[in-house]
Amino acid sequence: MAKKNNAIYGLYSDPESAQRAVDSLRGADVPMQEIAVISSQPFDEYEFGRRDHRTPMPWLAALGGLAGGAGGFLLAVLSQKAYPLSTGGMPIVALWPSGIVTYELTMLGAILTALLILLVTARLPDWRANLYDPAVSDGKILVGVVNPREDSRVELERRLREAGAEQTKEAR
Amino acid sequence: MTEKSPKQITDDLLRPLFQTSWKFFALVAFLGVFVVAAFASFGYQVYTGIGVWGIRRPVFWAFDITNFVFWIGISHAGTLISAILRLANATWRRPVTRCAEVITVFALSIGAMFPIIHLGRPWLAFWLIPYGSERGIWPNFRSPLVWDFFAINTYLIGSVAFLTLPIIPDWALVRDKAAGWRKRVYSILALGWRGTPKQWSRLESAMHIMAIAIIPVAVSVHTIVSWDFAMAPVPMWHSTIFGPYFVAGAIFSGVAGLIIAMAALRKFLHLEEYLLPIHFDNLGKLLLMMSLLWFYFVFAERLTAWYGNAPSEMAVFWATQRGAYAPLFWTMVFCNFLLPFPILAIKQLRTITGTFIASLGVVAGMWLERFLIIVPSLGHKYLPYSWGTYQPTWVEITLMVGTFAGMVLLYALFSKAVPIISIWELKVGIHNKPAVSRQLSAPGSGKPESAGRPLAG
Amino acid sequence: MVVDLDRCTGCEACVVACHAENNIPTVGEKQAAIGRAMHWIRVERYYEGDFPTVRAKFMPVFCQQCDAAPCEPVCPTFASYHTEEGLNGQVYNRCIGTRYCANACPYNVRFFNFYNPVWDKPLHLQLNPDVSVREVGVMEKCTFCVQRIKAAEIQAKAEKRELKDGEFQPACAQTCAPRALVFGDLNDPQSEVSRLAKSNRATKLLEELGTQPKVIYLQRGSWHDGEKP
Repeated sequence: MAKKNNAIYGLYSDPESAQRAVDSLRGADVPMQEIAVISSQPFDEYEFGRRDHRTPMPWLAALGGLAGGAGGFLLAVLSQKAYPLSTGGMPIVALWPSGIVTYELTMLGAILTALLILLVTARLPDWRANLYDPAVSDGKILVGVVNPREDSRVELERRLREAGAEQTKEAR
Repeated sequence: MTEKSPKQITDDLLRPLFQTSWKFFALVAFLGVFVVAAFASFGYQVYTGIGVWGIRRPVFWAFDITNFVFWIGISHAGTLISAILRLANATWRRPVTRCAEVITVFALSIGAMFPIIHLGRPWLAFWLIPYGSERGIWPNFRSPLVWDFFAINTYLIGSVAFLTLPIIPDWALVRDKAAGWRKRVYSILALGWRGTPKQWSRLESAMHIMAIAIIPVAVSVHTIVSWDFAMAPVPMWHSTIFGPYFVAGAIFSGVAGLIIAMAALRKFLHLEEYLLPIHFDNLGKLLLMMSLLWFYFVFAERLTAWYGNAPSEMAVFWATQRGAYAPLFWTMVFCNFLLPFPILAIKQLRTITGTFIASLGVVAGMWLERFLIIVPSLGHKYLPYSWGTYQPTWVEITLMVGTFAGMVLLYALFSKAVPIISIWELKVGIHNKPAVSRQLSAPGSGKPESAGRPLAG
Repeated sequence: MVVDLDRCTGCEACVVACHAENNIPTVGEKQAAIGRAMHWIRVERYYEGDFPTVRAKFMPVFCQQCDAAPCEPVCPTFASYHTEEGLNGQVYNRCIGTRYCANACPYNVRFFNFYNPVWDKPLHLQLNPDVSVREVGVMEKCTFCVQRIKAAEIQAKAEKRELKDGEFQPACAQTCAPRALVFGDLNDPQSEVSRLAKSNRATKLLEELGTQPKVIYLQRGSWHDGEKP
């Protein structure tokens, strides 16, 4: 997580220049986790937008679904056994209807797990003061370095400008 | 479409949140009257008894369950359409998805109230919740009403998640543009969203999973609602066609509801440059297809019943087609098929106005269809001595009108708090078109030459 | 229970007896006109033939206590369920009034309390203390006078003996002058109902629906002669 009070960044008006900036920063041997990119829309087609793309979320959601399904099945079956009331000549543990409840809770489990994984991995909610610039909302892409070394600030700023930044800023 | 800059799009679509005219307050007051009246009549009904309704032996369900099925049906518009279009990568969907998802959440909320409203003892509705009660009893999982409870709640939670997740980045947008109390509120709502690639990636993964999960849930919800009828040995109810029939009918009424909502938004929020004729054209084609599908199901059901000639079924059949319910039946056929079909099939008529009129007809026709499934069948069961009719009272009518007013009210309030068109998704559609594939090449491969300008969306 | 349609005169004394025994409210003229009368047992009247060879047919219809009752699985709160003795039990306390059971019942023998029942004074004094008074929003139906069944069972247990056939009967059977209604234990091959059930006049109502009703109707000739759908 970037601390707002120590970063240097540039604002770019199009994704190509943002990509140039990221490449340039990497060329200056800045480690990947210190390069911050913030945008108001996803840029899946660009390399900088595909960072951290891999996630086990689908598998975890499937697992959550299985857990939900098991829960639903147990709920239906065990509660029918616990208080056995005969209705309409049906067996006490009616499998077809129990299947319906199992299905619904499977889907609910998958959905809630996906939601939970999203909140955890995207680190939401997080109302602390992190690196951000409201210009991002106007469509600018922010590319910068968090916690840069003092002696490299000038060099970094030069690289950001060369890549086509509309403005460069410092957050201390 | 003229190419708009991201800033222009943001300003256009956030304008309803920041500018409110007196007409909005007048609308809220007007609708509020009907909603309050509905709550008052519900209170009267709870205090006095279901006797203030028109239901009677043998028609024990009428307006209450008609409205229930109707609103659950309307709720199939949004999430289903939005999810299917997302998965199919249909790019024209972008301005439409949030309008659709909002319909789902509100229609579902209204529909889900009816199982409570129709109870003889609504203060005990919580007994449907599976908890280890002190009475030592659990809900009856063999009952379709308990299946309803699980299905509707799953769909509601899923739809709310499906709606609110993509709103978070837009709330961040509003947070940046707002000032004063608005800034505080939206800062909280935005959950501190910034827009790092990781956050975008996780958001899109979650939405993808939900889109895949919500489609079978939506199908199951209306199937289970239809099984409220199909599981009972009532003539013309106990039919295997009910599951698919109801799902198709739900999508049908849902798309019509969506077109109406979009036409209204376009006019009142001045979104002429975002909700384009092509959107109505595409949705109109979808509505046409659903109208044909509806006709197919009704024809198949009625042909089978007529051919089978079972006395108990034929009583219901003729009552609907030639008897006391014939005027309603033929009105329904007109509204659901005879009116929409020419409007939607002829390209020159498939305009915004045309699809709007067709959709109004469909919404009315589908309400009638639900009514005609419930009441004639219940009125003509197996023992003719117990046949009966039904007439609504002012309490039921007030409740019904209140739900329509409530839907519009909720929609209007929502459009004031949240941009009704998903801003970031719209921007993705317009600007994210890389002309060269080198963007995905390995890092540090040399200074890239400048790419072509993004194409206009 | 066995109902002999060839004996029933349509006097409807059973209806009145049932009202008295089970605290069933009279709903009043206006409510009855819309179809909200609550007669746990009703006598259906059908006419066969044209004038002057008209015959009236009377059929008492009440809860058939089906073995495969369609009203039981659909109740979300188990208010309608099958007791171990084989009756269809209606538990008023569990009922939340969805009215699904009434829709599912093919015999239309279930009744709903649309309002809180009212007995003008001094009629409230005639209420049977053995039977609860149902509140608004609750379904009810014929129980085969389960309060009498239970009372007889308790008495027999206290006296350490088995129940005798004919020892007790529901109010309708008790009142029926032509002895058209006969109540007993179908599991007991010696009881009168078992004997009558073996008659060649025996039919069941709506048997083709598969509800397995426990009420046997005795009648000469085909029921469907002269019936209009």
